[in-house]
Amino acid sequence: MKKKAIDFSVITRSKITWAVVAEILILLVCFIIRPDFFSISIQPSTGVLYGSLIDILNRSAEITIIAMGMTLAIALGGTDLSVGALVAVSGAMALKLMRWDVLEYSTPGDYTVYPFWMAILLPLLTCMLMGLFNGILISKGGMQPFIATLILMVSGRGIAQILTNGKQFTTMYSPFRVIGQGHLGPIPMPIIIMTVVCIAMAVFVRKTAFGTFVESVGVNKSASRLSGISSDTVIIIVYTLTGLLAGIAGLIYSSRIMSNDSNNAGINYEMDAILAVVIGGTAMTGGKFSLIGTIIGSIIIRTIVTFVYYFGIVAEATMAFKALIIAVVIILQSEPVREYFARRSEKRALQG
Amino acid sequence: MPENIILEMKEIEIKFPGVKALDKVDFTLRKGEVHSLLGENGAGKSTLIKCLTGVNRKDGGKILLNGQEINPTSPQQAVDLGISTVFQEINLCPNLTVAENIFIGRQPMKRGGIDWKTINKRANELMERFHLDIDVTRPLSFYSTAVQQMVSIARAVDIQAKILILDEPTSSLDDNEVRLLFEVMRQLKAEGMGIIFITHFLDQVYEISDRMTILRNGHLIGSYEIGQLNKVQLVTEMIGKDIDVIFNLKRADVKEDAAYMLEAEHIGVPGKVKDISVTLKEGELLGFAGLLGSGRTETAEMLFGAEKTAQGKIRKKGSDISLKTPHEAIMNRIAFCPEDRKTDGIIGDLSIRENIMLAVQARRGFMHPMSRAEQDKLADYYIKALGIATPDAEKKIGELSGGNQQKVILARWMATEPDVLILDEPTRGIDVGAKAEIQRLMLERCRDGVSVIFISSELDEIIRCSNRIVVMRDRQKVAEVDGATCTQQDILNIIAEGSAAENGKEASV
Amino acid sequence: MNKTSSKKQSLLSRLMNPKYIMVYATVAIFLIIYLFGAINYGDKGFLSLRTLIISMFTENAYYGISAVGMTMVLITGGIDLSVGAVSALTGMIIAYGVAIMNLPPMLCLLFALVIGVGLGLLMGAGIHYLNVPPFIMTLTGMFLTRGICSLMSRESIEINNELIDALAGFKIYIKWWNEDGEWAKIKPICYINFNFILFIVMIIIGTILLQRTRFGRNVYAIGGNEQSAKLMGLPVARTKILVYGFNGFCSVLAGFAYVLYVKSGWNLALQGGELEVITCAVIGGTLMTGGVGYMVGTLFGVLLKSAIPALITFNGNLLSWWGKIATGALLLLFIFIQRVVVVYSNRKKQE
Repeated sequence: MKKKAIDFSVITRSKITWAVVAEILILLVCFIIRPDFFSISIQPSTGVLYGSLIDILNRSAEITIIAMGMTLAIALGGTDLSVGALVAVSGAMALKLMRWDVLEYSTPGDYTVYPFWMAILLPLLTCMLMGLFNGILISKGGMQPFIATLILMVSGRGIAQILTNGKQFTTMYSPFRVIGQGHLGPIPMPIIIMTVVCIAMAVFVRKTAFGTFVESVGVNKSASRLSGISSDTVIIIVYTLTGLLAGIAGLIYSSRIMSNDSNNAGINYEMDAILAVVIGGTAMTGGKFSLIGTIIGSIIIRTIVTFVYYFGIVAEATMAFKALIIAVVIILQSEPVREYFARRSEKRALQG
Repeated sequence: MPENIILEMKEIEIKFPGVKALDKVDFTLRKGEVHSLLGENGAGKSTLIKCLTGVNRKDGGKILLNGQEINPTSPQQAVDLGISTVFQEINLCPNLTVAENIFIGRQPMKRGGIDWKTINKRANELMERFHLDIDVTRPLSFYSTAVQQMVSIARAVDIQAKILILDEPTSSLDDNEVRLLFEVMRQLKAEGMGIIFITHFLDQVYEISDRMTILRNGHLIGSYEIGQLNKVQLVTEMIGKDIDVIFNLKRADVKEDAAYMLEAEHIGVPGKVKDISVTLKEGELLGFAGLLGSGRTETAEMLFGAEKTAQGKIRKKGSDISLKTPHEAIMNRIAFCPEDRKTDGIIGDLSIRENIMLAVQARRGFMHPMSRAEQDKLADYYIKALGIATPDAEKKIGELSGGNQQKVILARWMATEPDVLILDEPTRGIDVGAKAEIQRLMLERCRDGVSVIFISSELDEIIRCSNRIVVMRDRQKVAEVDGATCTQQDILNIIAEGSAAENGKEASV
Repeated sequence: MNKTSSKKQSLLSRLMNPKYIMVYATVAIFLIIYLFGAINYGDKGFLSLRTLIISMFTENAYYGISAVGMTMVLITGGIDLSVGAVSALTGMIIAYGVAIMNLPPMLCLLFALVIGVGLGLLMGAGIHYLNVPPFIMTLTGMFLTRGICSLMSRESIEINNELIDALAGFKIYIKWWNEDGEWAKIKPICYINFNFILFIVMIIIGTILLQRTRFGRNVYAIGGNEQSAKLMGLPVARTKILVYGFNGFCSVLAGFAYVLYVKSGWNLALQGGELEVITCAVIGGTLMTGGVGYMVGTLFGVLLKSAIPALITFNGNLLSWWGKIATGALLLLFIFIQRVVVVYSNRKKQE
């Protein structure tokens, strides 16, 4: 009797519980309305897996990748608003390198002007530098993360536009297409990249002590410093990493459309990523974080979008559904509600 | 003169989980008197005040205000009853003007809008009464802490309080500002207000108070008229000798030929510590005695790199070392358990295990993580060795009692296997049993060859444990005495003499 | 300083009060930018630069109206990301009501006000009672509002209404001495419209609320130190909730002004508008950490922000995207100035 009550409290206190419940509920509704929602088949022409669930995973790649970095930024008690703009910068940079202005007379074809590795690495490097800029403003400059990253959020898209002279380039270079539209065996490439990034991040933060350092600095900067942790270094690494991940997401996005779209690439990504993190149970005040929670959060967001597409609801209305589900999760996760559940289960434990 | 009594607190009892914070404490306040409330940190002064101002609920006893029983449940209610408090931390809004801070929430109105002219005029009048010539239309943050302190007193006074509680208002004031504050206090006293004055500065107690009440470890020691006790008696009463030897604690022996572990020569930081030199031998326990604010904490911080030294040299085992950051100190196997456990010690949301492994991990760098098995082993070992009361190592440190938190922090540093262990008030605010245990652990380290620096306000524990004792006063080292031969009285005399000799200079306990 | 001087202050010493320093910084930077433009592009006419700035200012008035509410939210130390979406929703409600349901526009506006203020109050309550960070709470509000917009219509809805046309067409031309010394309209045509007047009225209302009411002072107190405000017995919960309600009110009015400007409702209108609005407030000297900010500063913030595109247009060779970068640079500059002010005043206090 007593043991049961304690189990209950563990479940209600765990921050990712509600996210998992929400995801299951949405999927359940999908299943009831459309029993074939869960079916996964192999497309005969390409040999690629095909189905709603695969689509959800595929399309959630960008946000999930960005949200990995965002989780660390939020665990530090900060946030990174510039990631959406960095997505645009990364795409613009890549397209600029593959299709240089000089060759405007030539028609798009299966070629690249600069070597492919350059078109991949330079955008990533640029995004890392911009993340480094954020990190330095926050750690050495002592600025609030919100304001420090607002600067690049505002001017980042401008930089992307200037890079491409305000033009939208297209490319047909096939190796680049692989990033967003290719597949490895039967699995779409974005899912592969996302998985690799998630595993790499998980290994980086949990198999080294970096995750603990981030949590420690996020909870108590002064005590962390006195324990010998260099909080400035931790902050700079986190924001640089967030920049890099935004860059990767930018490459996937632009490869999907084989073009740069500085106005719309990554729009509201920072919001979606922050939401994914918060739904995943990491508190905006910093401290303990959960990468798994973030992945679930990101998938929830994408499930809602897919749900809306599938059932013929106006695509732009997705946001309203997002808001409703987020509101429910946030309210259930909020301090007063969690305390209420904790008190109730304590009472039960006492009675039992 | 019982008709003069405006406040009576009878047999107040307050329990916190595991400890009795106040045990049947009586307190009376007369009209028109300044009554000092004295005691060491953790003695229960602020708990008593918090009970009176409705922050803490009492578990027993009565509060009578003018003979009527009251039970304030919030600071606001206490204010409505005429009990105003000025805290050491300033509870005002730094962005608002001086005048506005005094009047916000009860601004005079004129023609539907705030009457700024009246506000500024009345604020000017109040400031004049306090002999402060400042521009009341400037933001509060523009002025020194002293002025801000005065402003919060002005706010408290202007809401027609019957009782004014001043909780260490002078800790950030200089002599002139203190004199100014005292003038105001005398004026308020003459107007019939009862003032409760909490301070660490003994000279100020004698200068301004009519009576004093002494608390120690949650017990009432007594209430005295100001002439009844002299300074040395007062210090003795406050510090007490109540930790009887629960465990048979024995001072560690230092070998005759023990090498120097740490030598600091003429280190100092302007405005914090003047030119200090200390030496520490292998296996030696060096006590730092002195009053709060005497520079003992700053010295410890310099030896740990938490405070950058502006001058001097530090040698460890004979060779010069650089101590610019705590990280460097940790690399040199120096450990430091800070004074303020809450803000500088614990990482509240992390588990006991993570809190224990943190410093070891920081020394190794994050790329060389300890395996989970190693962490568990480390945590379990120290939980057992230090007797940390917890069901398991995964409990959040924030959920432990103060004594257990302190043991976890101690474990964090012991785990680094330091050569030098600096402990700043490790026994503050924890119960007697835990105190004795921490002392025992400290002495065990010494026997293992670790050099320990032990800072404490409690003389008996310093004398009991230390081989040598450095006595500090007024931000410098004034004496170094032998721990085996000196008595509490000797040290008390050094501290009290100093404060008596430099008449008027503040001395704190 | 003797007593008489501290009692009776001259206007000058009152204006020298350090609490206005950020506002002065805004004004100074505006003047520098203006002079820079005037000197560098003087050949194109000093006057026409002024004209351009005035017309940009007039066109940006709807951001300004929204910035009035945002300034107040930022002063409490909060943030509201839903403003652009609420403005867009206002446009949709008016367009839908007028064009499809044939309702009088003012009735639609009233309805939009109820929705906007209601949503603001709701978000404020969530922020205060549920302890949800303002960022997340208002982001949810933004998603909800945008979603509702899209549910109403995905296409832009034209508005053909006499009242709207009349309000939109209302113009007061600005006259000045021209090169011939005649009192005439400034060319190219420079005027003040209804939106601009609404903006100025809102700035005045905002100033009165902030400076002349207890409510306004509580807003500052909460931004300065919420804990202290509570201990001083101020109505923290009520004030915070009302501030978000007032911001909703401002967003709806901004949406109305935008309707007058484009004469249509569109579900994606003013996307990212919240950022523009926050930027206006911040370069107007409002601290995002709360406690500091003035409506006058916000007025100049909008002016400053209008000057950038004016200058870029004036240069002629620059891509308009430089505007975004310049805005980012301005933000950086302002945050830098704020840091310097804080560090300097701390050092001064220590001495």
